[in-house]
Amino acid sequence: MPSADVAVIGAGLAGLLTAVRLAENGARVVVLSEGNGALHWAGGPIDLGFRPGARTAAAVVGQLARRRAHPYAVLGADVAPALDWFQRLTGDLGLPHAGSLSGGFGALPTGIGGIRPVSIVPEAQAATLQPWAPGERLVIAGHAGYKDFWPRAVASSLARPEVWGGFSRPDRVVGVALDWPGLRERRNLNALRIAEHFDDPDWRAAALDVTARGVASTGSGPVRVGLPAVLGLRDHPRVLEDAIQRFGAPVIELPLVPPGIPGIRLHDVLRAKLRALGGRILIGERVARVEVTEATVTAVATEAATREVLTRVGALVLATGGVAGGGLVGDPDGAIREMVLGLPTDGPPIERWLHGDPLNPASLPIAGAGIRTDEALRPVDPRRPARGPLFGNVRVVGSLLAGQQWMIDRSGDGVALASAWRAAASLAGTTASATRSSRTTEAVR
Amino acid sequence: MTIASVVDEALHETVGLSTDECLKCNICNEVCPVARVDDRFPGPKYVGPQAQRFRLAAPVPINLDGRPVHSPDRTVDWCSGCGWCTTACPAGVKIAEVNNRARASMRAGHRPRLRDWLISQTDLLGRFGAPFTPLANWTLQNRAVRWLIELVLGIHRKAPLPLYAGRSFRSRFKRRGGVLGRAGEVDLPPPDRAVVYFHGCAANYYEQHVADAAIGVLERNGFQVIAPPQNCCGLPMISNGLYPAARSKARHNLDVLAEYARLGYRIVGTSTSCTHTLKAEYAEMLDLHDEDARAVSEATWDICEFLLDLHEEGRLDSGFGRIDLDLPYHAPCQLRSHGIGLPAMDLFALIPGLRAVDMDHDCCGIAGTYGLKKEKYDIAMRVGEDLFRRVEASGAAETACDSETCRWQIASATDRPSRHPVEYLAAAYAAADAAGTAAGTAH
Repeated sequence: MPSADVAVIGAGLAGLLTAVRLAENGARVVVLSEGNGALHWAGGPIDLGFRPGARTAAAVVGQLARRRAHPYAVLGADVAPALDWFQRLTGDLGLPHAGSLSGGFGALPTGIGGIRPVSIVPEAQAATLQPWAPGERLVIAGHAGYKDFWPRAVASSLARPEVWGGFSRPDRVVGVALDWPGLRERRNLNALRIAEHFDDPDWRAAALDVTARGVASTGSGPVRVGLPAVLGLRDHPRVLEDAIQRFGAPVIELPLVPPGIPGIRLHDVLRAKLRALGGRILIGERVARVEVTEATVTAVATEAATREVLTRVGALVLATGGVAGGGLVGDPDGAIREMVLGLPTDGPPIERWLHGDPLNPASLPIAGAGIRTDEALRPVDPRRPARGPLFGNVRVVGSLLAGQQWMIDRSGDGVALASAWRAAASLAGTTASATRSSRTTEAVR
Repeated sequence: MTIASVVDEALHETVGLSTDECLKCNICNEVCPVARVDDRFPGPKYVGPQAQRFRLAAPVPINLDGRPVHSPDRTVDWCSGCGWCTTACPAGVKIAEVNNRARASMRAGHRPRLRDWLISQTDLLGRFGAPFTPLANWTLQNRAVRWLIELVLGIHRKAPLPLYAGRSFRSRFKRRGGVLGRAGEVDLPPPDRAVVYFHGCAANYYEQHVADAAIGVLERNGFQVIAPPQNCCGLPMISNGLYPAARSKARHNLDVLAEYARLGYRIVGTSTSCTHTLKAEYAEMLDLHDEDARAVSEATWDICEFLLDLHEEGRLDSGFGRIDLDLPYHAPCQLRSHGIGLPAMDLFALIPGLRAVDMDHDCCGIAGTYGLKKEKYDIAMRVGEDLFRRVEASGAAETACDSETCRWQIASATDRPSRHPVEYLAAAYAAADAAGTAAGTAH
């Protein structure tokens, strides 16, 4: 008999991790999501927090936790155990993540020729955590006709020392544009199509050959090879192994514009894990309303043409994202609405939602809007937090939590991990009141 | 009411304007089964939200001089209409619907291609073919004839066409005293003891065993079944961009079904694509927003959705006998568009011994009439290939699926039967009866 002890709304990193953790603890979980989550845009790194000049992620987490408004003020202590669990989980699922809270930062070159400070990265970006040796060069290689990745342009940007912002950097950066087999005739090439090509062992061998010759043409001596993040989808571990072996050098996958292949890989294994644990994941389900009895959510109604489907739940996890993810919507009259329960939100007044340079993260205070919670991640009224939780069986996770300037703090993934960990722990033992049921609201029965 | 809510409503009322929510994030391109296998289709984003900038928002866009405006990107015709883009879109853009409307506006004002017109006429084909079942089936199975059909019409010679099953379901149902009339013409039990059956063309002409199974299961649960006059739901025409013809089919169905819906009867269908058309596409594609359309939409249930609802109300006879079987199950794209989860899997779980496995594959490729077409057959086969290989590797003797054209595609590609979920429920009741008889405790 299908039923949901816990319904998780949202299928991004926070939602999927909460669901997997709950399912590991024995809960029957259903994930309901309006569409595919933001992991499909993700480039690979797990951001726990960064500040210019900081030496370790642990130090930044500590700093942020001392700020009362940041979710780490509540969750800071859970970042370490959550990360430990995440690294064991993804390792078991064939997508190990390197790095640690205390291991320091590296600089990950990106597909637009910038760098991104990273502390936790998938295996294919692990080489960025090692300092560059004297004389070591970075070769940026890619297919010449692929519109989302221009190897020579990327290399010429990365050749400027100031781009590396004080991080250890290569001695020399060279770009080579290659002709990967059979792609010249292809139209509409995107990262996913090339990744699927890499899954094919024969094509892969040929493409890696071409690439190895291109890398060799740039000279000899110690080298790392930067490639667009397209090294396979389903067979990624084998593609990576083959590439490293063929080049005899470390490989770095550079994050690209969406679709984000590293994020899709993570999404796919988490989804498969959830299903293997008996969890359900339903995409294309927009929540229309919830049923509440005495500050307890008893059911979630999702839209189904002119009717709705009612899922009876023991608990509800909101992983709907913030303003960027659609969990919050700002109205022209200045109200910031939470879209599922209509929870009271905490955020700046409308005059301060945006100001100044739109490309500067510091000019987007609206990004910090969200829901305030108690220690168990139950929502509270931000103006009357002392009155306690508004709903006993609701938890808020991920970027819906108020007080994150994730583009500045770079703590978005750490909040997702720690809040998933905390929410799952605090919901241990929850069971459903009844089962998923389908009901007309207006039709006569 | 605030100005914001008025603006909000205006923006979301039409499918076309939902593209205003598009972030250009590429998730739709990433899930598109057709773009996955063929470069000729640039993907839903390019022909949908992107190209929509060049289209007007009116249902049939017209120029200032009154001529229809065509899509600037004719590659929209490679879209199979599976609807995955809409399902996966995190911003709520009705991408598949936008693309289907774009195709219809391309077709508007032109005479349809003979092939597209013909494969859309599912009840015409049924009505004329069924009386000549042996001849028609010989024709459909004859390789030389099929080659000729491909040459002349453009229907691929290997495309999975169904075989006629002789007398139609309606005429058999009439013979055994079934109720076929319109509301008001017939005496009926109250709505909690009778349902309207929308059999669709498939159960009427090709798969009467599905109709029989459905009626058996419904009757066992205390429902009298009514099969009022009905024609094709119109989906094949919608898929081929022939909206005016689809509207006339829809109008006829709505006239008959709305009478029942208003009396409180639920409309139950065994074709998950027909039920989705009644529920959603009359409004979303054909702009039928009147009271009849609304009443029918609210009253329509896919049969598994209906039976699961009975179960959750404690009204389903769950005395299922044992069926020892490994059963790969494919959830059709149209079922996902219902937004009701996978009710068949929940029902399978009630049958002792039945080990159903959700194959978790996006699309079998056929997409109604898409995979029948000569130029699209190969795309359809590649879209479903992974599903077919995994079914074969599973060693299972048969598969289950809620939609008829998917069943025909999967059965043909894997060379083993594919059945409707309700057939297993009927078989499980029969198994219970047989066991009861054997034990001397028959009902």
